[in-house]
Amino acid sequence: MMTSKVVKYVGRTTDFKGKTLWEIVGSLKGYGVGRIIVRHVFQRYPEPSFMKITKVETCPDEERRRVRVWVEKTFRGRRLPGLTEIYRTSYKTDYQLIPKDEEEKFMKSIAVHDFPDVILPNKIEMPPLMKKFIVKDHEKKGLEIIQDFVLPIKYSYSPNRVKRVAVGDEKPTVEFTMGLGKPVSPSLYEGVQLEDEICR
Amino acid sequence: MISHKFVLNRACPILIQCAQAHRKPRWFPVAKSKIYRIPKRPQLSEEERLEILRITNNYKTQMRAVRKFYTDDMVKEKSTLESATSEMSQRLEAEEWQRCEELNEKWNKQIATEREERRKKELSEMEDFALARMEAIDREKRERVEKASEQIKREKELSETFISREKLEEAIDYALANPVDYNYAIDLKGNMHTGRDTPIQYENKERVQVSSN
Repeated sequence: MMTSKVVKYVGRTTDFKGKTLWEIVGSLKGYGVGRIIVRHVFQRYPEPSFMKITKVETCPDEERRRVRVWVEKTFRGRRLPGLTEIYRTSYKTDYQLIPKDEEEKFMKSIAVHDFPDVILPNKIEMPPLMKKFIVKDHEKKGLEIIQDFVLPIKYSYSPNRVKRVAVGDEKPTVEFTMGLGKPVSPSLYEGVQLEDEICR
Repeated sequence: MISHKFVLNRACPILIQCAQAHRKPRWFPVAKSKIYRIPKRPQLSEEERLEILRITNNYKTQMRAVRKFYTDDMVKEKSTLESATSEMSQRLEAEEWQRCEELNEKWNKQIATEREERRKKELSEMEDFALARMEAIDREKRERVEKASEQIKREKELSETFISREKLEEAIDYALANPVDYNYAIDLKGNMHTGRDTPIQYENKERVQVSSN
């Protein structure tokens, strides 16, 4: 293999930066059990996200880019219970090994990613056309006509979720509307009357 | 469907109006002029990125809510349709059953009367048929008896000319006395020329001499 310092990238750019998990783990003593690895894309969060390898299983020759690894996962400063298996994503060239002298820093900088005062709403107002449609539809079907035009919100499950969803009539701290909502970057909407665009 | 290549290779492709989008079909390979082109990655400012993220998340939440509403609606409708446990539906079902039974009774009676009539008709038809058949058999028997008796009569008449044991000698004598020669010829007028030993007279004799037997 030719060794040259200059790396020239060809093709499309990528967000990934690093090696596949097997490239890291396969060259370490004892398959790197006890070492700390990180996914580069998760370093975009202010809280630390890292994984500590606890167990490694190699894969047959047909899956030479993959490896089966069990890790203690810490995502955004919060330690997930139990072990997490990495197999399906182990081929991604996005894993980085943390040197042993920097491990201490990682472990200490656990600022827990927690939003105890944020309650997500469990209801949302209907879109304006749907309101009219549903009245007619229920009249046609002979059902009772809806008085409060609200829809229940469904949240997808994720082990990383920390924000609580409101239970019952609990008052949420954030509000989702069917309109445009409150822009994060008002500078993008200069000269635009936002009140007209929000459907009420 | 006409292939895209065929359309392109035609002599005058303008004549064909394609309702499709004017682009390469999905299964065509990358064009030669585009093969090493690397599209530039869109550069978003941080403000724009955050705003787009917020809008997208908002939209997804809204759509999930609408979808969930209609999914729940469908599930509820289906379950109410499937489960006939409610009192209302049970009562309705009982009424329906009662009505069905009454209707069934009515139909059964109607069909029973029709069946009786049909059976009577069928029975009379069968009787008629049987009688006709018996008569036909009788007639046939009678005819056969008549035919047989007629034949017997005829045979009896014929049997008078039969040669019996007593008449045998006489018959032999008669046969010897009158030999018959069947070797004769017939001319166009139907005259019989008998005998192989009869001399043929070709002269203008009109009458052919009959050989004396």
